[in-house]
Order: sequence, then C-alpha cells, then structure tokens
Amino acid sequence: MKPDFRLLSAFFFAAMAALPLLAGDYYQGVGFQLLMWIALSQSWVLLSGLTGYISLGHVVFYGLGGYLTVLTWHIIPLPLAIPLSGLAAALFAVLIGYPVMRVRGPYFVILTFGLAELVKYIVINVEAALGRFGRLMMGAPDLSTLYWAMLALAMAATLLVVFIGRSRFGAGLRAIREDEPAAETAGVPAARYKLAAFALSALIPGMVGGLVALRTSYFEPQQIFSPTISFTVVTMAMIGGSDRARGPIMGALFLVLLSELLWANLAELYMIILGLLLIGFVLFAPTGLDGLLRRRGGR
Amino acid sequence: MDLLLSPQLLAAALIAGVLYALVALGLNLIYGTMRLLNVAHGELVMLGGYVAYWSFALLGAGPWPALILSPLATGLLGDALYRGLFRQLLANSALAQRIEANSLLLFFGVSIILQNLVSLAFTATPRGYQPFAAMVDLGAANLTGGRLLALFVAGIVTIAAVLLLRFNTVGLAIKALIQNREAASLAGIDIEKLERWSFVAGFAIAGLAGALVSMVEQLSPFMGFPYMIAAFVIIILGGLGNLTGSLIGGLVLGLLETYGVALTSPNYRSILVYGVFIAVLLVRPQGLLGRARIVR
Repeated sequence: MKPDFRLLSAFFFAAMAALPLLAGDYYQGVGFQLLMWIALSQSWVLLSGLTGYISLGHVVFYGLGGYLTVLTWHIIPLPLAIPLSGLAAALFAVLIGYPVMRVRGPYFVILTFGLAELVKYIVINVEAALGRFGRLMMGAPDLSTLYWAMLALAMAATLLVVFIGRSRFGAGLRAIREDEPAAETAGVPAARYKLAAFALSALIPGMVGGLVALRTSYFEPQQIFSPTISFTVVTMAMIGGSDRARGPIMGALFLVLLSELLWANLAELYMIILGLLLIGFVLFAPTGLDGLLRRRGGR
Repeated sequence: MDLLLSPQLLAAALIAGVLYALVALGLNLIYGTMRLLNVAHGELVMLGGYVAYWSFALLGAGPWPALILSPLATGLLGDALYRGLFRQLLANSALAQRIEANSLLLFFGVSIILQNLVSLAFTATPRGYQPFAAMVDLGAANLTGGRLLALFVAGIVTIAAVLLLRFNTVGLAIKALIQNREAASLAGIDIEKLERWSFVAGFAIAGLAGALVSMVEQLSPFMGFPYMIAAFVIIILGGLGNLTGSLIGGLVLGLLETYGVALTSPNYRSILVYGVFIAVLLVRPQGLLGRARIVR
C-alpha cells in the first residue's frame, strides 16, 4: 500500500502537540530539538531542494536571528523580538541575495559556506570589541512555552514547503533547478524567484535561532554559528531525500532518534555513523528515505 | 613600519605561502580535473600531520621518514577511496550529472569520519613536536630548522610539480582532461587511469603538506578546516586546474594573511581570509587568473 504522507504528517504533528502533556522535561527537550531540525531543514528545502542551489551556510540566518534576540533581550518584548529576528534574517538574505544568487553550482556551495564563516568571525570580533565573551540570559521563558513556539515554527515551515511546492512560484523554482536558461526563456523571472526563495528560506531559521538562544539561555558565537548545524541540515534533507515536505520530517526524525541512541556517551561514534550514512545514501539511495518508501509502496 | 619591512615577516609570509600553495596544488588536481569538491582535503593534511607526528615519536629518525610515510599513507587512502567510492560516482551517469553536489556530500562524509576516527584514536588534545628546534641564522632572518625544512620541501615540490605538469605528456593530458573530458578521451587519453592518478597524487600531496605543517604548527583532529578553506580560496584565485595559478595564489594568500595580521591584529585573520574569498567569488568566479568560461 502506498503510505499516505499527508495523514502521517498530520498525525505526527498531533503527537508532537500532545507530547508536553504526557512527557517530562527530558523528552520535551528531545522534542524541541526534533522540531528545531524540522523547521531548519524544511527552510533549507525551500531554497536548495527546490532550486538546486545547495546552501552550505544556512546557519548564518539561524545565528543572526539568535544574535538579534540576544541583543534585544530585555529591550524588546519577546513576542515581538522573535518575529523581528526572523525578519532581520530575511532582510539580510535580500541584501546579500542579489550578488550571491548569481553565483552558480559548486561556487555557490562554497560561497554560502564562506559567508557563514565570515559572519561568524565578524560577530566574534564585535563581541570581543564589546568586551563580551559569552552572554548569560536570565529569566528566559520555560521549556513548554518555547516548545509550543517551536512547534508552531516547524508547522509553519512545513506548510510553507507544501504550499510553495504546489504553487506557480514553486514550479518556477523547480524549473530553475532543472535548467535555468531554459526556465528564463520560458518566462520564469529567475533572478526575482531565486531572491524570494532565498529570503523565505532565511525567515524561519532566524526565528528558530532566537528560540534556541532562549532555550540554551547562553550565547556564544562559536556555538550558534557552528558550521556543523549547516551540515546536519543538509544531511537530514539528503537522508529524507525529497523536495517535498515529508523528506525533512523523515530525515530529522531518523537522525534525532539516532543521536538519542548514541550521542550521550559516544559523540565521536555518532559522527562517524553520520558520515557513513551520508555516503551510503548518496551512493545507494540518492532519493533518500522518501525514495525507498515510495519504491516499496509502488510495488 | 619597521615590522612590515623586516625580513623575518617576509620569511613567515613565504612559509605560509608555500605551504598554502602545496595544499592547494593537491586540491587543484582533484577539483580541477574531476570536479570532485573535496571538502575532506583539510583532513588529509591533518592525517599527514599525525602520521608525521607518530613517525617522529616512534621511529627516532627525525622528521625524515615522514616525508615518505605521510604522502604514502594519504596516497593509499586516496587509492582506496577512489576504487571504493568515486570511480562509481564518476562512471554512473545519473550520479555524475550532479557530480559536485554528490562529491561534496561524499567527501563531507569522509571528512567527519576521519576527524572523529582520529579524535577517537588519539584524543582531541593538540599535539606538537619540534624537529630541529635550533635557530638557523640566515643573516637577515632567524628561522627554526623545522620551518626552514618546511619552506624548502614545500617550495621544491610545488615548483617541481608545476614544471613537470607543464612540460611532459602527463601534464598535457591533465590539461586536456580539464578542458574537455570527452574530447580528451577521443584523443586517446586513458581517462580512468589519469583520473585515478590525479586523485592519488592529490591525496599524497596533501599528506606531504600535512607532514610539513606538523613541523611548524600544533596538530589537532579538527585543524583541517582552515586549510581546506585556504585551498579553495587559492584555486579560485588562481583559476581551476591552473597549477601555476595555484602557486601564485598560495603566495598571494600567504603574504596577504601575514601582512594583514601584522597590520591589524590576529583576531582579524579569519575575517581577512574569508573576506578575500567572498570578494573574489562575487567579482570573478572564474578566478583572477582564470579565463572567462561558462561553469555549469
């Protein structure tokens, strides 16, 4: 039987919504992580899955959002600060988007990576110049409040991928992925579409970064701008393996469960398995979990 | 001003420059010829460094065995990876269509495996050793013997490789491969053999560079990142597949970094390197010395 992904996704989010009522702090923390990765990798799919422009620097939006939330801490009330962080990240994407999105293929990949590192070091230097080495945030909201907010972001990111994937805009982005010059000839406003996708894919990570900064209640640029976050997002999307909303959900679920099993005492082993999985999926299952399931369902 | 004009600083810049050039040369052989985006290149440098460290500590013959053992170890690893992973990737047309994205993910997998294996085996604590710690007086500048050795070996190997590939048929074949893979194959070049050769040579050169780096810097399992980035900066500066370009690019980056840091502060080192990198990518993605061409 072909699995009904829509029903499964709805069931999944319903279960995630029920989690804080049933489970203790530990599992809420794990759930928070899972929702965070779903929100991030959905946002990545919005850009890289649809357009084929592989971003290896998505952490930059997440980090900037987190930084802004930290900077405005106790100045702007949180219900305003979090959306503002998302908007600021999107604005940053618009500002750098035009020159950046002109760069193609492998150059785009290393450019996004380099950009994220550049911003990280700028923030580190700004903090050092301010005489700050890590910031502690006292009185952040409790976990269940943050959990609900993160759930909302994960669902928003998922719906965004669903609706854009079905829209004319999404079809245009897919056309750019398949053959950009041909898409332009057929009337897709490639430059505008790419810029819009870049900005949209920055919006939710900016807010996610804000929530994570509150959750850890400690801010350290090396940590929040860590390239591992970008890499994990790409790996999750690859393992999920789809330009549709179900891919990131499966990829994130798979890796979060795996890390729960291994991370606590075997951090290095977890990373090694992550590497092996990545290699295995690229070589033997380039369509990811989604492809494997569909092949089984089709039979 | 005195500092900027000192031969000591120039020597430091040259050492950084030739080491960068050597690292970039290896990357250029792999990326330039096969379009394999080797993000594990820095880990090869790290691995070469560890082989050098252990051969220095265990063999008791000074830093010399490392000059053979490090490239041998990474070269063998390259051969195994080529046979195990990348031959399949290059041969399978469905995978080869998105060769850059796929190779990036494969190498990223290799990279985190290597980092964590080394960290598991040797712990994450930085390690270092000092071969020939005594200062050598060169008249204008004083260098430790280790740094002098690194400077000479890296300089000689880089220049020899550039000359070799410029003036013999293997070099011509590689150039042909970079320009047009199919036409090169029609002209009677054994593509698979050449690709394997470039792959292994690129890995071996990275290992040698690692051995030299270990003589001037401390080692840690996660030290590879900045070298990988520097190598990408350089091959973009010098043009893909342009080996002379990567020598010049390496020297430029070494000078820029050393003098930039001397002028400002060590805190700005990373900003400087990434800033140059991004500026070059945005302004001239085909490289400062590269010819304009459509890159897909």
